[in-house]
Amino acid sequence: MTDRSEDEAGRRISLIERFAAAIGIVPPAGAVTPPVRRADGTLSAYPPFERWDDWEELDAERKPRHYSLVPTTCFNCEAGCGLLAFVDRETGAIAKIEGNPLHPGSRGRNCAKGPATLNQVNDPERILYPMRQRGERGSGDWVRVSWEEALDDIGGRIRDALRSGRGNEVMYHVGRPGHEGIMERLLAAWGIDGYNSHTNICSASARLGYLLTNGSDRPSPDYENARLILLFSSHLESGHYFNPHAQRIIDARNRGARLVVVDPRLSNSAASADLWLAPKPGTESALLLAVVLLLIKGDHVNHAFVRDWVDWRGFLRHRHPRDPLEYPRFLARLAECYARFTPEYAAAETGLEAADIRRLAADVAHAGTRIAAHIWRGTASGNKWGWQVARALALITALTGATGARGGTSPHGWHKYKPHYWLTPPPGRSWNELQWPREYPLSTYEMCFLLPHFLLDDRARLAVYFTRVYNPVWTHPDGFHWIQALADRERVGLHVALTPTWNETAYFADYVLPMGHSTERHDLQSQETHAGVWVSFRQPVRRVLAERRGEAPRSTLGTNPGEVWEEDEFWIDLTWRIDPEGALGIRKYYESPYRAGEKLTVDEYYRWIFENAVPGLPEAARDEGLTPLEYMRRIGSFEIRRDVYELHRQVVEAKGAEPPRTDPATGIVSEGERVLGIEVDGKIRQGFATPSRRLEIHSETLAEWGFAEHAIPTYAPSHVDPATLDPARGEYLLIATYRLPTMIHTRSGNAKWLNEISHANPVLIHPDDAARHGLESGALVRVTTPIGWFVNRALVTDGIRPGVLACSHHMGRWRLENGPGSRWHSATVRFENLDRDTRRLRIVQGNESFSSPDPDSGRIWWKESGVNQNLAFPVQPDPASGMHCWHQRVRLGPACDGDRYGDVVVNLKQAREHYRAWLAESRAARGPLRRPLWFPRPLKPAESAYHIG
Amino acid sequence: MPAERMAATTPAPPPENGAPRPYFGFVIDNRRCIGCHACTVACKAEHSDPIGVNKTWVQYIEKGIFPHTTRAFHVLRCNHCADAPCVEICPTASLATRRDGIVDFDPGRCIGCKACMQACPYDAIALLPEEKTATKCNYCAHRVDAGREPACVVVCPVEAIVAGDLNDPASRIARLVATQPAIVRKPEKGTRPKLYYIDGDADALDPSKSARSTMTMWGSRPRDAVDDAPATGRKERARGAPRRTYDIPQRHAASWGWKVSAYLFTKSIAAGAFLAAFSASLSLGSAGAARLVEMAAWIALVALGATGILLVADLGRPERFHWVLLRPQWRSWLVRGAYVISVYGALLAAILLWPAGASAAGGTLVALAALFAALTAAYSGWLFAQAKGRDLWQSPLSPLHLLVQAFAAGSAALLPFATTGTRSLLEQILFWSLAANVALVFLEIFGRHSTSDARRAARIARSGATSAVFWLGVVAIGHLLPALFLLADAPELAGLVAIWALVGLYSYEYLWVDAPQRIALA
Repeated sequence: MTDRSEDEAGRRISLIERFAAAIGIVPPAGAVTPPVRRADGTLSAYPPFERWDDWEELDAERKPRHYSLVPTTCFNCEAGCGLLAFVDRETGAIAKIEGNPLHPGSRGRNCAKGPATLNQVNDPERILYPMRQRGERGSGDWVRVSWEEALDDIGGRIRDALRSGRGNEVMYHVGRPGHEGIMERLLAAWGIDGYNSHTNICSASARLGYLLTNGSDRPSPDYENARLILLFSSHLESGHYFNPHAQRIIDARNRGARLVVVDPRLSNSAASADLWLAPKPGTESALLLAVVLLLIKGDHVNHAFVRDWVDWRGFLRHRHPRDPLEYPRFLARLAECYARFTPEYAAAETGLEAADIRRLAADVAHAGTRIAAHIWRGTASGNKWGWQVARALALITALTGATGARGGTSPHGWHKYKPHYWLTPPPGRSWNELQWPREYPLSTYEMCFLLPHFLLDDRARLAVYFTRVYNPVWTHPDGFHWIQALADRERVGLHVALTPTWNETAYFADYVLPMGHSTERHDLQSQETHAGVWVSFRQPVRRVLAERRGEAPRSTLGTNPGEVWEEDEFWIDLTWRIDPEGALGIRKYYESPYRAGEKLTVDEYYRWIFENAVPGLPEAARDEGLTPLEYMRRIGSFEIRRDVYELHRQVVEAKGAEPPRTDPATGIVSEGERVLGIEVDGKIRQGFATPSRRLEIHSETLAEWGFAEHAIPTYAPSHVDPATLDPARGEYLLIATYRLPTMIHTRSGNAKWLNEISHANPVLIHPDDAARHGLESGALVRVTTPIGWFVNRALVTDGIRPGVLACSHHMGRWRLENGPGSRWHSATVRFENLDRDTRRLRIVQGNESFSSPDPDSGRIWWKESGVNQNLAFPVQPDPASGMHCWHQRVRLGPACDGDRYGDVVVNLKQAREHYRAWLAESRAARGPLRRPLWFPRPLKPAESAYHIG
Repeated sequence: MPAERMAATTPAPPPENGAPRPYFGFVIDNRRCIGCHACTVACKAEHSDPIGVNKTWVQYIEKGIFPHTTRAFHVLRCNHCADAPCVEICPTASLATRRDGIVDFDPGRCIGCKACMQACPYDAIALLPEEKTATKCNYCAHRVDAGREPACVVVCPVEAIVAGDLNDPASRIARLVATQPAIVRKPEKGTRPKLYYIDGDADALDPSKSARSTMTMWGSRPRDAVDDAPATGRKERARGAPRRTYDIPQRHAASWGWKVSAYLFTKSIAAGAFLAAFSASLSLGSAGAARLVEMAAWIALVALGATGILLVADLGRPERFHWVLLRPQWRSWLVRGAYVISVYGALLAAILLWPAGASAAGGTLVALAALFAALTAAYSGWLFAQAKGRDLWQSPLSPLHLLVQAFAAGSAALLPFATTGTRSLLEQILFWSLAANVALVFLEIFGRHSTSDARRAARIARSGATSAVFWLGVVAIGHLLPALFLLADAPELAGLVAIWALVGLYSYEYLWVDAPQRIALA
């Protein structure tokens, strides 16, 4: 190694070679580039910030390259991690994408999906130009159109709808938002109740549980400082904020925190846990309520916290009005409520060991206020009444005083930033019952997955329907009905798909408008990744490079590949076409705050926010000698606050002239009509965002709105109650949604490096269950749902609970014959009518290699790319949260004669019947209001709109 | 720290006087790894590696029976061995150990001989599909030279991959190696890996311990030549035994195919024809000897030509074949062998072009040619022994065995051209060399082997799909039949005897080359 005759590269060039090179019969031995090292030989993760403008680094072929390092924000999952694009200063091409070390959430690190963004940018299958579909939707007859043509057509139709009072026939339906409030402002400016999201097929259930308890619809666990990390979701591989959370969970664990994961499936998170508990799905509340009972009985309740911050008075007043209003009474009553939840009872229900349940309770008691607990989708999204699991979990963090504490679990709103704007449209006056039907007054978010059924029921029609980075045909249950509704021009006048890549929903659009990936668009994003508040900027990196070179690009269009645009500029332009003269009163919101009457530019949009709406940013920018916009363009993110805890204790100052009133029964302090806070310790404090301003164990809202039997956290049998399933008769529970660390729904399929790792979704089957049906790994199985069946391969594994099947919701992408689509990850399929009501999706050609400018497309070796099981699932709205209950009752068996891999068969009539049966279980609003006024809602309308009739 | 925990630790080379600084290595901290594959993707992005090529990957191993099931993640890649066998075997110094400990790779020097893939005991080297040059993790040497950590280290969300200077006591990596029990992959190979696993699972790091399946948790991996090998035992397939649930194919498997066994075979004839003739000539009159030697030289030269063609044809970059001679890395037996073959060929040519001179030199030239013929036969034994990934090839008998094979192959090749004066001599040589060979073959295939991989390779050679090749090809056709007919003394069947013997010899070369490559290295 230290042989002096060797060069730095460790090669000894022989005399023969020197001679041969001298006479030109072999190439000369290349000069060895001397390493540029720090004096101490240490390496750094990232180039020093001051050299980001022009950073020289060898590429893998040891050619010197000059990069401009431009920060942006990942647009794959919802975590909003920082990215740093290495843009070649010569060619303008993005060479690679690393993390942004200055991003407070992701801290320079990323999951596989961050660097794989490069695949999405360079995908030869991506949509580069606006396209219009001729003929029937689904015909595949696409022609290129200009942006002008598309904008005029769409803008004209919206203008017509608005002018004729049909504003609510315009709907914007979003999958991945990736921005903060921009769309709500737009739709409010248009004056329509047209916002629809995907949340009710995603996380709405757990959100309801959290909302009812602490007034904030998601948790923000402080994993970093926790002593016990209790996960009901797989946050080490997915969840909300996978990468930022995984960093902090693992840091804490290596400092001694205990990690408990509750999941019937051995997820990667479960595999990393100190204790993995795999209860029967749907019984998780029994486990948690047993822990609650043990906490009370063992006197591990944090009395100081509970006395002040749990609404025990409300609990007694509503449930035991004759009881004295005394705290010990509350504890006794609470223990009474959960008396049946002994460890032995819970063990029998859950299928766990009673000792493990006691162990968990001991962990909880030991951790005290430092319990970072999280449930996101998992059992909450799987089961009817699944939101009760979130309430039970929130009850534990309430009783231990972990809510809001350092190392505990805070309401998410404390750790998330929301911008405001120079001109805010007034709240809308209309209510769109397509999203917010009166059958589901407590639905956490919009009843998105019932939309096709509502359209087919003729509840309303849509004039212009935008799907934006959204693929309901594939991701939602009962996709055949989505296709039916979307294909119907009478029901959907115009369908516009805004998406960077082809998806199954876009096949049934009139326009496909290409919008940029994370390196090709502007957005502002903030997520509650930890106990701090940050904001991150997404920006089109080639546009930024052009600016750094002193050019002044007037639009992102032109700096992106092809005619890929970004939504911010699109909406501004569209709004000006809807209201060109300002006569509708809409245009003014999209006029420059700096140049009166002029069209707003995207620079001005963010300049105003950064100058006026991000606390501390102008000062930080000044310190760097930059304007706030320049600061964000260079650094990409800004930390607004850190170590944010116990905001419920924050003292609120009264502002009015009159002294505030305190309700002696509740402690609530009001100033006029407005609730100021709650009096605790003789001071007015902010409290929580619930009606009582405290953590609510008993929810009077639930009681008032028809769910009295669920008013406290309960263990209610789900639609897939394990007691009603007999594997011996082929009956199983199917866990139909779980994420892989390498994929993000249907958005990452065009990332070849991710596809190479993961491209199919076999059905996980426990060995005992497999033996019962004579199945081995790789065997074709038929999984029969209430409305049809799908055919997939078995994967026999001890990583799943007996009696339970699991199949990831990733993979199983398809494209139509003669239609467009991304060939990296999809099979070509045909739709067949088996009889009047029965449809079959059948693969006519599996995934195959193809030729393209990227030679890798010829190297695809995977033939089977998964099964679109969602098509075979009926809609199952939870009566309260409105969340689709994903777990399925299924029958399992070997595939039958004629079954082929990928088959999905659905009886549409049964699907409609199933929809009606579940709709019949809803509990419509009985009072004058459509929805509790205190419940949040995107695009929250004026109070008058809440009144029915 | 308790002594037994220390025992599991393979210490980094201690910093001593003159110890290189920096001296890079990796720690994979399995207390932190969450199996997310970010390293895999960041590596691909950094190196623009094609689909099917992985410089680093995350193997998943599951064990146990529900609910006591566990899953372990192991990031696998080049170990940047302090004694890297790939560097030693590389004929053109395409692979080289840098002064800072990085085992680097220059595709511009690679001829695509795949010897490194045989030498690496960890399956860390892949062949690029189009360029046909080898590739592997090079510690992102180009980034390191700009002062930056490798791409996998920077991306890792949980800081499970630690890079740094092992000889800097203040570095995180040196502190981890010094304070935490860590294991390396296959320390018995003597390669001294500089990649340490904290909390590594021995069952995961020993590829023979886990069952392989082409089905993964999320899809499949392409079939490889190890999948085609006979099953390696029931025990591994028992429920709860370690099984791989994410893996990539074994790239090394069968990377040397029929051209390599054919090269051994033709080389055997080339060397043996001359050796047999030379041996026979010692008991012949000068005229008969000269004729026999001349004929042998012709046969040898033709076979040597075929050997050269096969060698060049097996290269990924055949147009670079002459770099073996002209850009030599002298420790490689590929280089030494190429020179041996060249000298031997030159000597043969000299004998044929200048028969008078050959005689005039008093047989010195012929004796020298015989010496180089012996070296030509035997050197492959040392070359294959440099392939540290293949336990069966580590046999110290290999050079001798190859020499015996050469005598058999050479005498068989000469037999059809024998005259009445030489036949009996050649038949004797053939008979006794076959007898010696069958003994050596049985020693290799049924004898005691010191490692389980060698035992398994021997078992693969004699059982499963290739058992017919062994029993019918090597034993019956290759040895029994010729021996019987040689004993029966049937000169009219000389041609047939020769063909049988050669079929047997080729069959054995095939098995010897093929079987060890059917064992998973990672």
